Amino acid sequence: MYGRGLVTSALLATATWGCHNDSGGSEVASAGSGIGSGGTDAADTGNDPNGTSGGDDTGGNNPEAQCEGITPGPSPVRRMTRVEYDNTVRDLLGDKTRPGLNFPAEEESLGFNNNADTLVVAPILAEQYQDAAEKLAEAAVLNHLPALLGGCNPASLGEAVCAEKFVTNFGPLVYRRPLAAEESTALLAVFNAGLDQFDFETGIRLVLTTMLQSPHFLYRVEFGAPIEGETEVRKVAPYELASRLSYFLWGSMPDATLIKAAASGKLETRADVAAQARRMLGDPRAREAVREFHDQWLKLNHIEEVQKDPDMYPDFDPAVLALLRTEAETFIDHVIWDGEGDLNTMLQAPYTFMNADLAKHYGVVGPMTDAFEKVELGPSKASGFLTQGGLMAVLAKANQTSPIHRGKFIRESILCQFIPPPPDNVDITPPEVDPSLPTRERFLQHSADPFCAGCHSLMDPVGFGFEHFDGIGKWRDTEAGKPINATGEIISAKVMGTFDGVPGLATMLVESPEVEACMTRQWFRFAYGRGEKNEDNCILDELGAEFAASGRSIPDLLVTLTQTDAFMYRTHTGEGESK
Amino acid sequence: MKKSTLSRRSVLRGVGGACIALPLLEIMGGWDGPASLPKRFVVFWTPNGTILKDWRPTGTEKKYTMGPILKPLEPFKSDVIVLDGVDELSAYDGPGDAHQKATGQGLTATALQEGDFKGAGGNSAGWGNGISVDQAIANAVGAATQFSSLEFGVNVYGANVGSRISYRGPAQPIPPENDPVAGFNRLFEGFASDPEAAKRRVAERKLVLDAVGADYQKLLPKVGAADRIKLEAHLDAVRDIEMRLGSGGTMGGACVKPELGPVPKPTEIVNTPAIGKLQMDLLAMALACDLTRVASIMWNNSATAKPFPWLNIPEGHHELAHRGDDDADAQAKITKINTWYCEQFAYLVEKLKSMPEGNGSVLDNTLLIWVNEHQKGNDHDRDQIPYVVAGRAGGAVKAGRWMQVPGKVSHNDLWVGCMNAMGLPDKTFGDPTYCKGALNLG
Repeated sequence: MYGRGLVTSALLATATWGCHNDSGGSEVASAGSGIGSGGTDAADTGNDPNGTSGGDDTGGNNPEAQCEGITPGPSPVRRMTRVEYDNTVRDLLGDKTRPGLNFPAEEESLGFNNNADTLVVAPILAEQYQDAAEKLAEAAVLNHLPALLGGCNPASLGEAVCAEKFVTNFGPLVYRRPLAAEESTALLAVFNAGLDQFDFETGIRLVLTTMLQSPHFLYRVEFGAPIEGETEVRKVAPYELASRLSYFLWGSMPDATLIKAAASGKLETRADVAAQARRMLGDPRAREAVREFHDQWLKLNHIEEVQKDPDMYPDFDPAVLALLRTEAETFIDHVIWDGEGDLNTMLQAPYTFMNADLAKHYGVVGPMTDAFEKVELGPSKASGFLTQGGLMAVLAKANQTSPIHRGKFIRESILCQFIPPPPDNVDITPPEVDPSLPTRERFLQHSADPFCAGCHSLMDPVGFGFEHFDGIGKWRDTEAGKPINATGEIISAKVMGTFDGVPGLATMLVESPEVEACMTRQWFRFAYGRGEKNEDNCILDELGAEFAASGRSIPDLLVTLTQTDAFMYRTHTGEGESK
Repeated sequence: MKKSTLSRRSVLRGVGGACIALPLLEIMGGWDGPASLPKRFVVFWTPNGTILKDWRPTGTEKKYTMGPILKPLEPFKSDVIVLDGVDELSAYDGPGDAHQKATGQGLTATALQEGDFKGAGGNSAGWGNGISVDQAIANAVGAATQFSSLEFGVNVYGANVGSRISYRGPAQPIPPENDPVAGFNRLFEGFASDPEAAKRRVAERKLVLDAVGADYQKLLPKVGAADRIKLEAHLDAVRDIEMRLGSGGTMGGACVKPELGPVPKPTEIVNTPAIGKLQMDLLAMALACDLTRVASIMWNNSATAKPFPWLNIPEGHHELAHRGDDDADAQAKITKINTWYCEQFAYLVEKLKSMPEGNGSVLDNTLLIWVNEHQKGNDHDRDQIPYVVAGRAGGAVKAGRWMQVPGKVSHNDLWVGCMNAMGLPDKTFGDPTYCKGALNLG
């Protein structure tokens, strides 16, 4: 309906002011949020409307020229997330009660809940750390006292000796490094006070309670190791590297092998780190950590919150939601660890996973038991995670599909672009369900009204491609008595054009370098617990090049993420020293 | 020990809020002291604006008729001020879109931080950049109770600037507790338990928290500035817990340990009315038992898309709020939603009024204020925010009137007025450029 000129300017408007220019100008963003590089034609370069792509595709600059020296970027102290806390106390104390589930949810930023800047501690969380520490320590002393004491018998060897042994042997597991002398002294003072006022076991329990609330347990505190000739940058010290590796790849504390490597000078070089990373990927904990990433990136953790309108979907059983989540997680798990391992398969696989109940929901003949098994659906119907019911149900309204949300998901999660929320003063109620009109026709106003078209031309035509999947994620051939029209169009991206259905969309996506770059960007955010900054462009370029060279292998990308300056080095901000 | 903690807090206030730090004695001097009945401050927050013509009373200051939205408050007319005409002036400035600014500045009254929370119109923002008024008051009146303040939520989802109203200081949002079971356990689990066991627990906790606090203290000078802010906030929280060790609630009067019956799932939309009622019951009992003197209850969050099935409104609240003034159906539904919120507010008013205290009720010693995110949803108008005050704050608030505030009066000055009513001597709050003098509620 509109020529490219108008579309381009709408996109430029997205970059500088949002898609619409608000009346009064009071909401106009500063010029700083503008497009990445001045003078480039957004339509030709497919410039990221977010403006965050910075220098990585500006053509005019040679990014290599700026990539000299060590540029780790910001290196904030990182607090454990709830999942990391639960995994850590499981691996440290054998506790499987998952106490972190009761903590307040993390604040989210850029789609992930582990952004260091947002992980602050409010009084309520400090209280819950206290409660959890007390309960964990009580259970540990009750059930595992001899193990905590490392076999030391206080009756024969003396209470003081055994307390000291506990602090020097168990303390390093809690702090993930050896303790400084003054730290041991302070902990033994807690023991002695507990012993004086109460008894030996209380003393041990209070020491453990103290350690479990220490910043050296709850946070990854790093000071780095000095490098000759550098004042602003330090190497990440071996024990710190062990924790970086374990929390990135396992979402938990380091194991004995990592600690041993750190202690013996075998966790220093990039090769050392890569070798450990490869070893760690073989552990089931790596699957958990990678699942955690996808739960957040692909909104799988929202599937079970979905609520549907029973009038519209009378046969929908909410119990199926948990199965839809399992389907998505099983699929990702299979592709990355047991299958091809690459991004293209995640986007294009003609198969998925179902058990008997889920097959019944989908109306597919196949699985007969509760166990999930691989089901071939064929390349005309299935396209990786993009066509799975859980995602489709999340990206839908209670009583209808939502081309807007589906298009927005592709733009934001898969292309790393940003679509601003609707502006002031517009009616954002989706068109009411009309049994005589297909969704596409009810959404016509978004393209007819130029005020809406600015943003919606970026979303709706992409989302229409998903119309074969109804609001609960089931395949449909017709809507309102008419055959489904699942043709769509991508504009303002590096790969543009029309497509038919999700498999057609996926073919365009896998051809797009933007999808490749976005995948590395999302993993960057998750791995490093922070948003990317301009100074990270060299690292993002490196990651992108390696990812492309590996055939877009996700396991290889995980190893590559441990090899960057952002992982191996830190920006020196404090005065502290590492041991 | 109490004294030193308070002085530390007064310093923090200076860092956290835009307003000037006051000497300790001045803060404490304004407080009536524990001998008199406690005064409380409570915020009741709802999103997405109202319909002013249905909200505004008709008549005169003393002789007026409630508009349809405020009808549920008719029985409590002598206990409320319909506060009409205060503007969120600061919430037109700084980073963020209209929803982010109105929510993050509602109780902080100062521009938001820059940050990565994406908003409408290409805007983005970070967290609120100052202490919120409830926390400023908690710093002055919350030292004597087990909890400095309590934050209740009803289906507050997401974790960003649009889902937080309370701040300990810049970029220190306080998450509300959405689950009545967790809230009940926190408030009443150890309530009125075996005194010997309680004594031992206090002794153990003191021992541990002393060491934990020292651990954070030792680390602070070794880390960079940004990390230090985070760890300092953590240390502050640890010290706060330590300071309150052994301060339990006060039994007697209206205070009884409540029974928690079956609790429906807090995240199911249809359970909103039931969860809201349970949260208000807990809040009221926490005040009556003097477990805290400062509280807030946040209903949903900014720009919430949640529908109201129990009112037969299938559309999302935010979507409705965006429709034009001439859409009679949407206007009627927004009025219905706000009327329902008013019923909830009236329930809390009634509850506090039913709890005897001294010669009056808990409500008489409380300043309860209903804050709406916006005045109007479709253009995000932040002038003439539809505030309703209930209670008398121990006599400092003159209730029973429709208080029309002419001209431009900032909500900064409203918060200074509330702080004064609570016994704080402050003259400014939030961004002082919006402060022209307290709005006197007396």
